[in-house]
Amino acid sequence: MTNEELWQSALGEIELSISKANFITWFKNTSILSNKDGQIVINVPNGFAKEWLENKYNLHILRALRNFQEDIKSVSCVIATNKESVSREPSVDAIIAPPKTRLDFQKTTASGHESNLNPRYIFDNFVVGGSNELAKAACFAVSQNLGRIYNPLFIYGGVGLGKTHLIQSIGNEILKNNPDFKVKYITSERFTSELIDSIKNQKIHEFKEYYQKIDLLIIDDIQFISGKEKTQEEFFHIFNHLYQLNKQIVLSSDRAPKAIQILEERLRSRFEGGMIADVSKPDFETRMAILRKKVADETIPISNEAIEFIATNVKNNIRELEGALNRVLVSAQLTKQTVTPEYVSQILSELISSGKKKGITHKHIIKVVSEFYDIDPSDLVAKNRKQEVVKPRQIAMYLMRTELQYSYPGIGSKMGGRDHTTAIHAFEKISEITKKDEKILEEINFLKDQLYTII
Amino acid sequence: MKLICTQDNFKKAIYNSERVVAKQNTLPILNNILLEAEKGFLKLSATNLEIGVVVKISAKTEKEGKITIPARFLSNFSTNLPFNDSVLLEISEQNLKIKSGAVKAVIKGLPASDFPLIPKKNTEFLLNISSIELKNILSKVMVATALNEARAELTGVNLILEKDELFFASTDSFRLVEHKLMIDKKNCNTLIYNLFIEKKNNIIIPAATLIELNRIISADTEGEVRMAIEDGQIFFETNGTILVSRLINGKYPEYKHIMPKKYNTRVVGDKKTIQSAVKMASVFAAGKGSEISLKIDSEAKKVFIGAKSVEVGENSTELNFDVSGPSQEIIVNSKYLLDGINTVSTSQVAILLNSESTPVAICEINEKTGEVLGDFVYIVMPIKA
Repeated sequence: MTNEELWQSALGEIELSISKANFITWFKNTSILSNKDGQIVINVPNGFAKEWLENKYNLHILRALRNFQEDIKSVSCVIATNKESVSREPSVDAIIAPPKTRLDFQKTTASGHESNLNPRYIFDNFVVGGSNELAKAACFAVSQNLGRIYNPLFIYGGVGLGKTHLIQSIGNEILKNNPDFKVKYITSERFTSELIDSIKNQKIHEFKEYYQKIDLLIIDDIQFISGKEKTQEEFFHIFNHLYQLNKQIVLSSDRAPKAIQILEERLRSRFEGGMIADVSKPDFETRMAILRKKVADETIPISNEAIEFIATNVKNNIRELEGALNRVLVSAQLTKQTVTPEYVSQILSELISSGKKKGITHKHIIKVVSEFYDIDPSDLVAKNRKQEVVKPRQIAMYLMRTELQYSYPGIGSKMGGRDHTTAIHAFEKISEITKKDEKILEEINFLKDQLYTII
Repeated sequence: MKLICTQDNFKKAIYNSERVVAKQNTLPILNNILLEAEKGFLKLSATNLEIGVVVKISAKTEKEGKITIPARFLSNFSTNLPFNDSVLLEISEQNLKIKSGAVKAVIKGLPASDFPLIPKKNTEFLLNISSIELKNILSKVMVATALNEARAELTGVNLILEKDELFFASTDSFRLVEHKLMIDKKNCNTLIYNLFIEKKNNIIIPAATLIELNRIISADTEGEVRMAIEDGQIFFETNGTILVSRLINGKYPEYKHIMPKKYNTRVVGDKKTIQSAVKMASVFAAGKGSEISLKIDSEAKKVFIGAKSVEVGENSTELNFDVSGPSQEIIVNSKYLLDGINTVSTSQVAILLNSESTPVAICEINEKTGEVLGDFVYIVMPIKA
């Protein structure tokens, strides 16, 4: 029996023979320090416990201990002084500089909290390129003529392309010029949960009133209200109210209003009633510009070639682009290396190799397309002209051309030995449609996503 | 028990012992004060199991005996007692009968046998410290003790016992106070003391203990406080009152090395003037850190104390102080700076510093010679710009 077990057993015994308050008061934080030749030394936390245990409870303790170890003759106590003290961080300086609380002297917009806006998102640090020119221009125009042009403003585009940055910039610009304006930035998910809360607490009236007093309402990721009927209804009323008062509404989504599923028709038409602008993937030059802008704030030198390397290899969205740059900078800082293209390629090798182009074949395309349109893969390549397979077949051919850069004759033979002119026709037709029909474009983008995530 | 004592002594004894009684106790008896009548004196004991106080007052004892009485009750009773020369105390069964002048009372008590035993000193007193000096030191070093229990060792005062002097120090890791006290050889049990410090010369006394000690020491007397240290506990004795306390288990951070040996820039000025300038700046200082700036212009022999914040605005106070050494500009927490200035007991204050990132010291100035006094040092770390 170890000392610890012995003491635990004895304590169990003692606990029964004295009152709980006494037990807690006197036996808390005690332990057996040594057990030698029948002489037990107990560690106690203070002098009071020592006096009390030695003088009042000595017999109790002795008796309890003897039940488990018969040869115990005496019990004494010492006050615990951890001599080999568990010296916590001995090298730490006794005093340190107090933390600086005021992070920046620049203004953090007084109403920043209420509006939910992130003060970092402003027009000045938004990099404009061909892919987002229109959206930026529209947002800027809105910020200068609130509620009078482009109402509502609808911005859409893929993840990490700067939608949130743009729409928050409107809010920050407004607050900069008119601090008294009521600006509210909210995600549609938060909007929904606030609405649910207000219904639960029977405060739906206050909820409506609050939103109807806003000068600029910015709702991010509006596509999430799809399928939520009550939210759509309330939003519809708030929307109408604000719209009639010429209050500005700005919405963002990852797809065009047409492509949002389960959205009430009256909302859809309203979304389309103002200005719709899209942000798409940045071109190479824009990516370079973004990286240069980021690098300008850094102290670590990074060569133009290295920036070019990142811009060439990370294409899909700006968030990834920034992530890649940060990764390079941080690891360069840690290892104290100079940033060369070789170094970048080494650091980013994982990111790039996990990049999406590898390993996709025409089989994947056929699989994804047939699954999406719910038709049999064999039908897709079969020689027939059933109405329902014609479009999917063309889309499959289109994807083979755009994503895999197959030759037209190659595409024809992969699609059940068709002529290369069929492939040309399919590609041109789909290309043409995507320019006009948002819905098809949306479908194709979705298919591409599927295609790359499937691996 | 049956005895007569002066009302004055009786009240004082209750006043000195009652405060250590904790408000929330698992053990009901801990809410009580133990009264013991022995030949020639009455002894009052109280404890919260961290600190114990025993007060002895002279009394004319007819019959010995002891009883415990609820502390709060006894305290309320004694403060409302109308003035009279003497108090008569008598136990009958489990009750304490009190009679003083026109007031008579019977208070229900608990048996004394359940009352905790206050630890008794087994060793000789190490040394005596003048009450006034100790009181002065305590009031200064208590400023910087940490309130947060996260680092238990910082909630106490560090006492380092050297051959010729004692060092009292406290820090909450942002500022540090150190006060030196020369040992008066006449008042020191040199032989035992030297033996003792060879074994152990660094202890941590809980702040609560010293607050209590500070109250018990009466400033008007020319008295002395006797001190003894044993394993894990410390004893103080003054004026018939014994205070015993646990010591904090742990290692106090090593601080000597961060105190600069010398300072390049020295500013000396009137305490009240600089106090009000810092207070004014703290009005403008923003945020929880309430940062203020201290600009020392050595050419113009001026000191500027000011602050600015986005919401409020900014201010600056110009002080014509005695400046020597190079110009400096630092940012400090106004509360920490003010605490340091407040503890200075001379009418002139010295601020000593080297740079904007090294410790800043606040010291006292000898009124007659104008020299910087070395016993008391308050150190605060500037905020990194």
